[in-house]
Amino acid sequence: MNRFVLSTGAVITAALVAVLMSGLGRDPKHIDSPLLGNAAPHFVLKSIGSAESIDIAKFRGKPVVLNFWATWCAPCWEEHPVLNETARAHPEVQFLGVVFQDEEAKIQDFLRRRGSAYPTVIDEGGRTAIAYGVGGVPETFILDANGTIVVKHDGPVSQQQLQAYLAEVRK
Amino acid sequence: MILALILLLLDAPQSTPLQGPALDQRTQEVASGLRCPVCQGLSIADSPSEMAVNMKAEVRSMLAKGYTREQIETYFIRSYGEFVLLEPKFEGVNALVWILPVAALLLGAFAVWRVLRKLSAAPQPKPRVSADDPDLARVRELVKGATS
Repeated sequence: MNRFVLSTGAVITAALVAVLMSGLGRDPKHIDSPLLGNAAPHFVLKSIGSAESIDIAKFRGKPVVLNFWATWCAPCWEEHPVLNETARAHPEVQFLGVVFQDEEAKIQDFLRRRGSAYPTVIDEGGRTAIAYGVGGVPETFILDANGTIVVKHDGPVSQQQLQAYLAEVRK
Repeated sequence: MILALILLLLDAPQSTPLQGPALDQRTQEVASGLRCPVCQGLSIADSPSEMAVNMKAEVRSMLAKGYTREQIETYFIRSYGEFVLLEPKFEGVNALVWILPVAALLLGAFAVWRVLRKLSAAPQPKPRVSADDPDLARVRELVKGATS
């Protein structure tokens, strides 16, 4: 067999194997967010339990933990106390819950039973979730004081992970 | 407010606003090319999930305002990355997805052509015994004598 054909075939096979091997350790549901390092999409959403709206821009000047969740999402129940505890321990960081694909009455009931240390808004129609590239709940974005997205976390966030993210954003 | 958000991310609409059946048809076409992020390989046109329904509503809303397919895809790519396109664009590293299979096919065809050409160009094997070999003539004589 021709040496050129053999060597070219070997190079193509090696490249394909390398691509497949690199994908073995990855979470197939994880999507790299193109928003990392960019300004967080602006939004104004209705606050739960009041007629007022919250403008994300008003939190400029301090780090923000933006948590997308829903009452029907079991991992969000697991994550809720972690977020509450961290929000109480770090008053210099603004926490904000964004609920989508849900009903306000259910959200109010959830927050009444489980408590809430920070405001929550409702994303009717999920347009803000789309603007943030949310693929499921829970998902958490950490914004620095300038409103730039520095972290995107898929799934429930642990106390240790959250502490590490907040340390990173304060650098 | 959301319109303002879209306007911040994209230029002004570059087409005429659609409505009625034309809007329905174009929404279906554009939605067919966008991946549902919570499904397994389904477009937002085919998925019944609430996320896909919301995304399709966003596509419809943007078409009704006069945004083009390219502008709408750009908007979704800025949120989800190129993952959101069911068919990767023919540019950059993505182009390899289209080029490599064709390159592999051409390489295979080249290899087959080389082998066939070598086979046809190979010299024909010489007969081990020539027609005027004296031993062969003797054998023929003996065979002839035995049969007559």
